[in-house]
Amino acid sequence: MKEQDRVYASRFSRTGKFVSTGAKVGRNYLKHFSKKLVSGEDSRDELNERNADDIYNALSNLKGSALKVAQMLSLDQGILPQQYSEKFSQAQYSAPPLSYPLVVKTFQQYFDQSPRELFDSFSQKSIAAASIGQVHQAEKDGQKLAVKIQYPGVANSIDSDLRIVQPMVKAMFDISQSELDHYLAEVKERLLEETEYELELERGQKIAEEVSSLEGLKCPRYYPEYSAPRVLTMEWIDGLHLKEFLATDPSQEERNRVGQIIWDFYDLQIHALQEVHADPHPGNFLFMPDGNVGVIDFGCVKTFSKAFYERYFTLMKPALSDDRAEFNQLLRELNFILPSDNEEEVEHFQDVYSDVLELLGRPFFSEKFDYADDSYFEEVYGLSDVYQNDPLLRNAKAARGPRDAIYLNRTYFGLYSILHLLGAEVETRSRVGELFPQAS
Amino acid sequence: MAQATATAKKKTGNTTRQKIIKAYQRHVLRHGENPSSVFAFCEDIKIEEATFYKYFSGFEQIQGSFWRSLFEENLDRLENTPEWEEFAVREKLLSFYFSFFESLKQNRSYALYSLQDGGRQLNPDRKELEELKKPYKRWIKALMAEGRNKEEIASRSRLSDQYDALFWYQLLFLLDFWRKDGSTAFERTDEAIEKAVNLAFDLIEKNAIDSAFDFGKFLFQNFR
Repeated sequence: MKEQDRVYASRFSRTGKFVSTGAKVGRNYLKHFSKKLVSGEDSRDELNERNADDIYNALSNLKGSALKVAQMLSLDQGILPQQYSEKFSQAQYSAPPLSYPLVVKTFQQYFDQSPRELFDSFSQKSIAAASIGQVHQAEKDGQKLAVKIQYPGVANSIDSDLRIVQPMVKAMFDISQSELDHYLAEVKERLLEETEYELELERGQKIAEEVSSLEGLKCPRYYPEYSAPRVLTMEWIDGLHLKEFLATDPSQEERNRVGQIIWDFYDLQIHALQEVHADPHPGNFLFMPDGNVGVIDFGCVKTFSKAFYERYFTLMKPALSDDRAEFNQLLRELNFILPSDNEEEVEHFQDVYSDVLELLGRPFFSEKFDYADDSYFEEVYGLSDVYQNDPLLRNAKAARGPRDAIYLNRTYFGLYSILHLLGAEVETRSRVGELFPQAS
Repeated sequence: MAQATATAKKKTGNTTRQKIIKAYQRHVLRHGENPSSVFAFCEDIKIEEATFYKYFSGFEQIQGSFWRSLFEENLDRLENTPEWEEFAVREKLLSFYFSFFESLKQNRSYALYSLQDGGRQLNPDRKELEELKKPYKRWIKALMAEGRNKEEIASRSRLSDQYDALFWYQLLFLLDFWRKDGSTAFERTDEAIEKAVNLAFDLIEKNAIDSAFDFGKFLFQNFR
């Protein structure tokens, strides 16, 4: 399910980090090494291979939420070379699966029935594993179902897992305590929500209803009568994963068509609902035989307040970067510029953010945008490289940017990468325009 | 007709027995100790002393019967589920533990009393646990034999003979873990069961060491 999604992510992620916490910079020694591995450049760095191996081993020994945080950070910080992050994304499969007797027990506990009694058929072995649970296939009245069952004790262990992982990631990623706290507080909230299957049920149903107007998009039906705090039953969706879909060599029209569906799906969620499926990695999309795009897994949903949403996206208002005073004001309100910054820093960060915004907002400023365009993505990496050498950013003591932006940026980032993988050209029509009607 | 009377009699017998057990459990949970005598106990619940002795020889036997019937009832129920025969022995043991601890939950206060004997520690030598130990070890022996037949478990001569004792310690460990478990719905105990059983079976299953030993023996016998 989540096999190939990180292939590109490690490259993109340098930007992800950049946007996500306001050009936070993790210019650590590993960076040199990863670059060397990826580009084959033989730099004179004092590092040797053992270092990266050690880190990979240390990380992959983590379990549960600790593993998840380490993964997210390593991708956000872009420190893991591509080879490792590929290997790494598979590591989460190795969480010990639930034995069938425990699955039965869980069902007895919630439904007073074993899964075989409840459904017409139920696979004894799980067919997929995620970091906090596993998926079984079932059938009831001719309907194929996916049944997700959570490992016991996951929610209770998040706190202790995060405590264990803290000193480790702090040393490894060379980030300040305040930045780490900033990050972990948000991550912890999302992880806790992910363990609440009842919440996922509610949100999955709600989003499915809200986006039902979108043509070509398919969300699974949920079955509350077969769901419980640690069991979630939904319609089984048959379809190809992105990698398999690309292997069928779809035509350019086809790529554009599915890319457009995905773009519209996210635009509607972010700009109309302010509630978004914040886990847009390729494994959560299925390309169905009838041409529809299936979206699964509503475990990670981020909701924004209207106030945050409006401020944040007003940053994209055309010509705003010419109006320095208003721009400055917004950056301050959003915490990108801190009260402790001196004049030089304020000037500097304004420039940084205005460049970043121009680049990452570029798709919005034309009617169509070609995500297959490598030069755009290269520009994005190039930008992040420039700023990684920026001493003012590197020495930043406090975390910059609003907490709410972390997942929002991850979402855009994931969306851009998927569209790039698809090689789609999409009409970047967006409801964001409603925020500044006079400008269009 | 005669048969009908016999069943009826058995039925009343069973309910009297149940009544004694319930009354006894209520007493120890309220007072934290045994009734002062069988006589006093019988007077309290308004039965003849002779009736008491028809079912039990003393209070200890009541305590023991709690554990034994818990064991027997759970195993009985499991053996009648349709999936039981398909299960590997590892899954049988897991199923048993899950179901055993689930019914323990219904009687947690009494079980804690029985395990702790008024103190704070689990006392593995308590006589009433003997009533659990004997049938449990017998069942484990049968289970291990089944595992060897199905080639799920390696025969390791003298060590294999001790498996029933080892699994008894595993059960004691789990009882102690459950006793101290403060998590919601005792989820931690579920985890402990999974991990303990998986470790045990990984150790006793046929594995690389057995194959290596077997191969070494073969070489030794053929080329010395």
